[in-house]
Parts: sequence; C-alpha cells; structure tokens
Amino acid sequence: MPGAAPETSPEASAVKVSLWDPGEDVVQVQRAPAPGALRSAWRAFRETARGLRTTFGRIAEGPVTMEYPEEKVPVYPRFRGRHKLHRFEDTGLEKCVGCSLCAAACPADCIRVVAAENTPENRVSPGERYAAVYEINLSRCIFCGYCEVACPFDAITMGHEYELSSYDRSDLIFTKEMLLAEPLERAPLRNEGE
Amino acid sequence: MITFTIDGREVRAPENAMLVDAAKHGDVEIPVFCYEPKLGNPVGACRMCLVEIEGIPKLQTGCSTPAKDGMVVHTQSERARVAQQAVVEFLLINHPLDCPVCDKGGECPLQDITFGWGAGTSRFIEPKRHFVKPLALSERIAIDRERCILCYRCVRFSQEISEDNQLVLVERGAHSYVATFDGHPYEATFTGNIIELCPVGALTSRPYRFRARPWDIEDAGSVCTLCPSQCNVTLTVRDERVIRVLARDNGEVDDGWLCDRGRFAYPALGGLPATAAALADAPAAAENGAGRITEPMIRDGGQLRVVSWERAMTEAVAGLRRAGERVGAIAGGQATNEEGLLLARLMREGAGSPHVDSRAAGTLELELHLALNEPRLQARVSDLEFAHAVLVLEGDPIRDAPILDLRLRKGVRRHGMKLIRATREELLAGPRELADKLAGAGEEIVVLWAERLTAGPDGSRAAAALLELADALSLGDVEGAGLLEIPAHTNGRGLREAGVLPNAGPGLSDPAATGDASPTGRDAAGIAEELAAGELTGLYLLQSDPLLEPADREVWERALERAATVVAHASFLTEGIREHADVVFPSEAYAEKEGTITHPDGRLQRLRPAVAHPGSIRAEWSVIVELASRLGLDLEVLTGAMASAQLFESVPFYAGLTLEEIGGKGVRWQEREAAGAYPTREQLV
Ligand code: SF4
Ligand code: SF4
Ligand code: SF4
Ligand code: FES
Repeated sequence: MPGAAPETSPEASAVKVSLWDPGEDVVQVQRAPAPGALRSAWRAFRETARGLRTTFGRIAEGPVTMEYPEEKVPVYPRFRGRHKLHRFEDTGLEKCVGCSLCAAACPADCIRVVAAENTPENRVSPGERYAAVYEINLSRCIFCGYCEVACPFDAITMGHEYELSSYDRSDLIFTKEMLLAEPLERAPLRNEGE
Repeated sequence: MITFTIDGREVRAPENAMLVDAAKHGDVEIPVFCYEPKLGNPVGACRMCLVEIEGIPKLQTGCSTPAKDGMVVHTQSERARVAQQAVVEFLLINHPLDCPVCDKGGECPLQDITFGWGAGTSRFIEPKRHFVKPLALSERIAIDRERCILCYRCVRFSQEISEDNQLVLVERGAHSYVATFDGHPYEATFTGNIIELCPVGALTSRPYRFRARPWDIEDAGSVCTLCPSQCNVTLTVRDERVIRVLARDNGEVDDGWLCDRGRFAYPALGGLPATAAALADAPAAAENGAGRITEPMIRDGGQLRVVSWERAMTEAVAGLRRAGERVGAIAGGQATNEEGLLLARLMREGAGSPHVDSRAAGTLELELHLALNEPRLQARVSDLEFAHAVLVLEGDPIRDAPILDLRLRKGVRRHGMKLIRATREELLAGPRELADKLAGAGEEIVVLWAERLTAGPDGSRAAAALLELADALSLGDVEGAGLLEIPAHTNGRGLREAGVLPNAGPGLSDPAATGDASPTGRDAAGIAEELAAGELTGLYLLQSDPLLEPADREVWERALERAATVVAHASFLTEGIREHADVVFPSEAYAEKEGTITHPDGRLQRLRPAVAHPGSIRAEWSVIVELASRLGLDLEVLTGAMASAQLFESVPFYAGLTLEEIGGKGVRWQEREAAGAYPTREQLV
C-alpha cells in the first residue's frame, strides 16, 4: 500500500545518532599539500624509471619463475612435509607399536591410533602391540614435527612431500597404508646451503 | 593432633598417622609403591618412602613410621635424595622399560616416581632378568613378570582382603615372581582389583588390553547396577564405548573394591555394560553385544520385527487401550526410582490398574514393610565392619551382594567382629532364643538379611519374627546396630520406596488414601495367576523377564501364553521376550541411564549417562511419559531431572533432595531431616 509507508520513528534515528560519539578521541587526518600538475607528472615518470632500472638491470639473469607443477621447488632435507611411517628394512615389520605417544604430543590433536595385539599368525610389528588404525588428519596438521620427536621408535618422520591439496577434505585423512607407502612422486631435494 | 616438622614446615596431623599420610597435611609428597591403607597394615616392602628423621641414625620408611609430636623429618635432604634415587635405580634394574607397549603407560606410578624422584640415568648395563611374557594369569588378567617390582600388593589382596589365598610370591630374591600357588588360573570373585592395585604394568586387564591410552579416554562416574551392592564405578569411555570399569572409592558403599562381574561384564556385551538379566540368560548369546536390542520391535506373524518408534508406540497404546484396567506391570530390579515412579503412575492413573510390583519375594503387608524400613532400625554398610557381631540371616553375601562379603571379612579380620549365620527355620523357631544366643557378642549387632527370607507363604511370619528379633536386641536404640536387607534385585529398595508395590504408593503410603485406584493390587505371582486365568489381559514388563525368575515358571508360561498384549522394555531377547512380547522397546544399559537408585541402606545414588544411546534407543522415562500422554495422562516430565524432582516430591521422606545434593557419593535419606516424614505404623492404623 503506497500510503502506508512507515515513517522513520524518532527513536530509531535517535539511536543512530548516539551510536558512537567520537568526542575528544577524534583523529585529525593530516594530508600533504596537493602537488601541482607539472610536479606530479615528473614524479610519476621518475618512479617508473626507477622500477624499470631494476627490470632492465636483471634482464641478463634470465627468468626465475618456476613452471609449477611441471617443475617443482626442491626442499631442504629438514623440510617438514607430510609424514611417513617406516618399516624395518630387514624384516619388513612396521616400526610403529601403536603407543599413541605421537597422538599425545600432537598440539593439533590430529592423530588417531587404535592399537591391537600381535599374534604369531598375524605379526605386524616386532613388539606385543601394533597400530591397527593409524590416521593423521592432514587438514588439521600444523607440520610442527612434534610427533616425530615423540616417537620412541623413529616410526614416524616428517617427509618432504608438500603437494597435499585435494578436492575433498576427507581425502586428507591419511591412513596407515597411505603413510607407509612410498609417495608416487618424490619431492626434489636440495642440498643445505644451495 | 600433633605437630611435627617436615622439610622445614610445621605441620599439624592426626596422632598416629603414618608419615606418608601426615606429610600430606603439609602438602609434602612422599613417594610410595607398596603402601596402600586399604590393604591393612603397612609392610615396608619397597623402601621407596625412605625419609631422614633427626635423631634416628638410619633412614626410616615413611609408610610404617607414625608421626610423633616434635619430630623433624626431611624428605629432600641429601641423604634422603640419594636413597630415593638409589631405590628407583634399583627397581629399574630388572624393569624392561617397555612403556610404549605397556597398558599402564601414562597412568603408572613407577613412571611418575621415576620422573619425580629418580636420577634420570642408569648405570646398569648388565643383561636383565627375563620371563616369558605376556602370560595370562587368568581369563581376565595378563601378567608380565618382568615389570613386577615385588611390592606384594596383589599377594596381600589375595591373602588378606579377598582371602582366596591363591596368589603367592615364589622363588627368592631377584628371581621372585607372582603366581598362583598351584599354577592354575587365578579364579575368584574379586580378582580384578589386583589390576588397579598393581603400581606398575605387571598386572593388566586382558579385555582392556591395548584398547586405549590414558589420553585417549574420558572418565565418567556412575554406579554399577548389576547387584544390590551398587558399587560406585568410573567408566572409561573411548569413541562412545565403555571399554573399562574402575572402582570409585566410596567408603560407605564399596570400600574401593569391585567384584569381577561389575568390572568385566561389559565386553561380553560389545563394550556396553550388561544388564543382569542378559548375564543370567546365556551370556554367550550376548557375546559382542550381538543380542542387544537397539530398535523397537513388534510381533508380526509370530515373529518380532524391527519397526519405527511411531509404529511401536501406536501398537503399544492400542494394546494397552484394549486391556484397559485389566493390565499388570512388573518393574525389573535394574529400573531406576524415576522409572518405577512413572510406571506406577502410568498404571494407577493412566490405566486405572493397581497391579504393579517389583518385589521378587511376593507381597508383604504394608505394615511390615513400614516396620522393616523404619529409619532408626537401618544399619549402614560401614556398620558391618565395626559391629560387635553380624548375623547373616538366610543370605549368601558373596552371591547376593559380593562386595558386602569383603566388608564382613574386613570386620572379622581387623576389628574382631563376630560373624554368625542363621537360617530362616532357626528364626521362625524362636527369635527370642536367637537373640539370647547373640546377646553375648556385644550390643552393636547388625542383622544382614536377604529379601528371600520373607518370601513364600511364611513370609509375613518371618518378617514378624525378624522384627521381634530386632526388638529383643533393641537394634533400634543402639548406634551402629540395625537391620540391613539385601534385596533380591539391585534397586529393590528404591522401587519399593517409589511405590512400585501392589499395596503401597510412593513413600510406602497407603494407596487407598490417594483414592485413584483400589488398594488391592496383585503382586507378581498374582498377576501371573490372573493372566493365566484370563482375568488380566495385558502385561507391561519394565526391564524384567519373568521366565528368568526360577519361581512360578510354569504359571508364567501359561500367563504369557494367554496374555493378549505384552509390552516390554528390554535390552536382550531373553526367552520370555523372544517368545511372548508383542511390543519391545529397546532399553538402556546402566552406562546410558540417567536417574537415581537407592542402596539397600537407604543411600540414594545417581546414575549419569556415560555414553550415548546406541541405535535408536530412547530413555526409559521418556518412553513411559510418551505412552502415558498418548493414553491421555500428562505425567509432567520433560527431562530426566524433572523426573527426579517429581520423585523427590512424591516420596515424603526424600523431600527437598536435589541431584546436586546426591552428587557423586550419594546421601542416605535416613540422615536427612525429611526422614521425619517417614510414615509410622500408628499413622497407618
Ligand atoms: S606435525 Fe605436529 S600437528 Fe602434524 S601430526 Fe605431527 S604433531 Fe600433529
Ligand atoms: S608412530 Fe611412534 S609414537 Fe606414534 S604410535 Fe607409532 S610408535 Fe608410537
Ligand atoms: S604384580 Fe604388581 S602388585 Fe603384584 S607384586 Fe608385582 S608390582 Fe606388586
Ligand atoms: S611404601 Fe614404604 S616401603 Fe613401600
């Protein structure tokens, strides 16, 4: 109904006004004097030239851009990428005994370990117990490496893989099998100081 | 109180307290391994508690040296520190240090004390002593002898607490190890307690083996409802499953112990604490929780079939409508007070039927109930320990309420209590003569009687004789003396007080007074007879299966056969439910329940849900409330807490109670002011 457009109530506008009274706190904005036309044209030219000097100065070095993902950035040996679980090289048994110490140390609370008992028929690790479930939620991991430090058996270490994007969050929950497997493509390594 | 000095602090402590305990009054911790007051006198086996006392040339064990006035004690002097480090180093000489695979890791006193008082390094490079491991000490307990520090706790428990005398230390010196004396598995009623006692990972639970670490779990306090002892427990929960049951020390209830049934019944049910009924009916069937009912069911063409809640409710309402007033209800012993109260209201006010019962031993005249439950006649559990004599009447505590058996043993062993047994026949033959026999033992006498004493046709006579005995011994007038009943079912007392009796309303009131229903309800046996005769047509079973009760089986079979409608709340398809129930509502296990139960000595205790309901199980109280509302009765309960509030309002001698007041340790209503509202025999007449 056209005639029934509500008037702004006096209370509403009163409220609006009293929302914030800057009072004494008002900040004065200091502005530089506006430059003249000639002066500003010179300034623009000068700054552009200064930038171009860097550009032309480096032209002989060739491009430094990397054509990722065809080409990969090499990482340092101590780079903390996605985790790896390890096996003993001789026996092939898993090093992890499912002690959950990594889970206790993890500040992001992203490791879940459910242990089970080794039997003579099904021996997974050398000790009495092994990790039946070992999951790291990499979408939560902050790559601090505390899990690696906590592990009494060097069963988990931080690897070099950093390509961890995915279309689905749940794909980022890495299971024991995924963590034990060698990555499909290894991240290139660079030497210290290189 | 005495005053002594420890580590430079003046500390006031009770006289004769051992130094380790006295030190706590000054916030000083003295490390211990073998000291455990629950096990009786200290033995001084581990030497961890060595302290330096001025004026005594040698270091002394703090666990067995009482604090004396003016003593000056040092726990951090050079000598004491060297001794502590030496003891830790010594204990670790043969310890395998396999903490990462050890179930005790993270909650291990040896870890903590090594961290706190050890040297941090070891000088020991020689080979360690080895044993075969892991070994099963029994079906439920694993033993790892390499980890044992020879503290004697487990052996002392077996020898002096449960007195099964099975555990011993064999061999000498470093070769000593814990074993049963004959090499057979350690089988007794209370074996699981040694797992909690062991200060290292030498004794661990097999069902809990490698299930979780202390930082993976949550603890939830509750009360075990598998028998009338109602021990306080801590449920260990991981991923919404109960994976372990631990004792929660309550000196007035369980003294810190648990029986093996309470401790180990849960895994047979897939990580869910059992119901007593399921355990009674072929526990194997309930293996891995396979039999647990988690969805509502109705009988369709002779077979139970899973249906939606809506359908089950409609079916139950239709059945109850058809039965009308001709319906009876039986509450099983694990029902809470609230469930009992609401069920009785549903029957009395909703269906107009007075036939509700919860008592296994049949009806007793209300007058006798009132007399037997009289507050001044009630003994507490701790009275069993300190009484001059305890008369066990007809009961077998180790079967009926196992934890009371430990209490009786403690009384006899430590306080010279005299234990006397008598049968029902002796009581009936002459309560006065029995009283004369007891009189010589002293005046603090507790009579521990089992509910079945008052069962059968002679029940009332036996109850009257019991009262006469109580009178002759003047149990009501002596502090620390009294009667203590062991009900046939867990919450027998609570259900009675909540009014789940054919001849009494809430608070043992006379139902005639409240008007609604005729006062002459039938008891369980009566309900069976009337069902069999076709007088009643409907039956409502709240967590109870009459076919599991040995009594009257034949009548019950006929009764269930003839009943037109049987509505049951059940966790397992036990025989009666499987064959005869028409509507089955899935019911909660105690770890899922919310509500209160009443201990045989009148202590109200609180059940708190530790895990969520599996499947589509709903709280029992809410199902009863919903049914009632569909039958046109508003029970005015929307939450579990409201149900409790209604209970406290309805039972005059619970008046004013709150769940907060009950708290973790419970309250005995006899010790509250509202106990004055207990109806006297005179009021009745
Ligand atoms: S790197 Fe840090 S955040 Fe990631 S799993 Fe290990 S401990 Fe947790
Ligand atoms: S990875 Fe290491 S710390 Fe984690 S559970 Fe396995 S053994 Fe323990
Ligand atoms: S098994 Fe445990 S409780 Fe028993 S003596 Fe050894 S350390 Fe002590
Ligand atoms: S605690 Fe004192 S000797 Fe063991």
